[in-house]
Amino acid sequence: MKIREIELPGIGQKFEVITRNNEKVVIVIHDDGRREIYHFDTDHEESVSSVTFNDSESRQIAAILGGMVYKPQALETIEMAFEGLAIEWFKVEPGATSIGKTIGEIDVRSNYNVTVIAILKRNMRKQLSPGPESVIEAGDTVVISGERQQLKKLIKEILTNERGD
Amino acid sequence: MDHLVLEVGTALVLVAIAALLAGKFNFSIIPFLIILGMLVGPHAPKFAVIDLRFIESEEIISFLGRIGVLFLLFYLGLEFSIKKLIKSGRSIFTGGTIYILINFGLGLLYAWIMGFPLLEILIIAGIITISSSAIVAKVLVDLRRTGNKETELILGIIMFEDIFLAVYLSVVSGLVLGNAASLMGALTSILIALGYMLLFFIVARKATPILNRLLDISSNEIFIIVVFASLFFIAGFSETIHVAEAIGALLLGLVFSETEHSDRIEQLVVPFRDFFGAIFFFSFGLSIDPFTLGGAIWLTLGAVILTILGNFIAGMIAGRRAGLSHKASTNIGLTIVSRGEFSIIMANLGIAGGLMPVLKPFSALYVLILAILGPLLTRESKNIYKFLDKTFKWSQKTSKVRDPASG
Repeated sequence: MKIREIELPGIGQKFEVITRNNEKVVIVIHDDGRREIYHFDTDHEESVSSVTFNDSESRQIAAILGGMVYKPQALETIEMAFEGLAIEWFKVEPGATSIGKTIGEIDVRSNYNVTVIAILKRNMRKQLSPGPESVIEAGDTVVISGERQQLKKLIKEILTNERGD
Repeated sequence: MDHLVLEVGTALVLVAIAALLAGKFNFSIIPFLIILGMLVGPHAPKFAVIDLRFIESEEIISFLGRIGVLFLLFYLGLEFSIKKLIKSGRSIFTGGTIYILINFGLGLLYAWIMGFPLLEILIIAGIITISSSAIVAKVLVDLRRTGNKETELILGIIMFEDIFLAVYLSVVSGLVLGNAASLMGALTSILIALGYMLLFFIVARKATPILNRLLDISSNEIFIIVVFASLFFIAGFSETIHVAEAIGALLLGLVFSETEHSDRIEQLVVPFRDFFGAIFFFSFGLSIDPFTLGGAIWLTLGAVILTILGNFIAGMIAGRRAGLSHKASTNIGLTIVSRGEFSIIMANLGIAGGLMPVLKPFSALYVLILAILGPLLTRESKNIYKFLDKTFKWSQKTSKVRDPASG
């Protein structure tokens, strides 16, 4: 990533960023505290979109971008939360206790109070609302929904490799 | 009965209304205040206690306006920095030089062809050359162009112009206010002005540590008193040796810009500059009889056309030399074309020196047109580019260069 810093007399400071994917973003910090971000088109000539943040907004966004607010885990774990109810994508780790068992055998619903919404098989095949006979295999991504606490417990107990081998 | 405060208060209410209107239309307040000033004045009616003629208060309003000039130029001096210019790089230096050569040259030529005497030629060329930093910065921010490539070059040229203005104002003020009757007298006046300037440069370089200590005042109250005392005293003193008081303010700003307190002074001065500056534009309009505008109309229109052409061409050359596209280069000329505060200050200097009175309606009309037309041209630069592109076929030429196989 290349960053170029230029002073704009009477306005503020400009940072021109060209990312590794050759995308151009310009950040302007105004003397009055406003920040503007411009995103440029592929030949870097014209800005295609821009946003303006005030000082406190920019600080919050900086914290988000800097990973201070939410730390991205592995790419497979993406969470969506609706007041207590959460949906989670989780890739079953090799060596997890649930591998080779059916959903009915584990009895996810009564043991954890969690519903398996879908199973994404390794070859991108989708099983939507899988029945009790569906088998969980290593490398599957399971989409589960329930209370956050319950999800954590289920993931920890049967979807991850607790022994660490 | 003494209605002085009421009269000044009325003036300020009008100024506030004009400023609010300008804000509503998202325009610079400068043209609004000049028009307002011209509308009122000795020919305006009087309603009971509200006197729109401003006869009694004319003197004090123009004095407040004079303070506005001091603050405008003091601030210019504070912002001014040779270090910044050197750091800014070659393309800005060449761009600025090209701009000044073309536009100052055209200004001199135009005033000379129109048959003005030397001093008037110098003032008119100055009025035509200097863009309005305030309007340009505002337009760039409003149109969200601060991130564009050409913006660096535009602001660089503006900075270059400001430096040119500082030196030029000093020299011309020496000529206009000093003894310009004989060649020797003129030379002495220029030398005094330049010597005075040099003195301030030396102080700025050598005496910075002493000034740092002197200005190291923790109380805001005492700090502001000390800064303003030096500003008014130095500005007034400069007048006694035929250097315009505005130049004194500018030079003091320059000295203070070298100290470590420059940011604090800048923050302190901005509200004063805005307030007294507004009164200056109003009082400038007030001093103009709108019926004299007609006499200057052709002179002004010629200058406006010349300015637009000169700025456009200079922007095009500067932009292309800096490696920008035709489109970005079009933006340069169409942005720096706005005129405002500095053109009026230039004209004011001529008036103060007792030059031809036509300078006043000329500069007022000129600034009015370009303070309104300039931002419009900037806003429409895309369409203007498209139109010009059809005539000159720039985009086709560029694509041919990029892909020689097809040509």
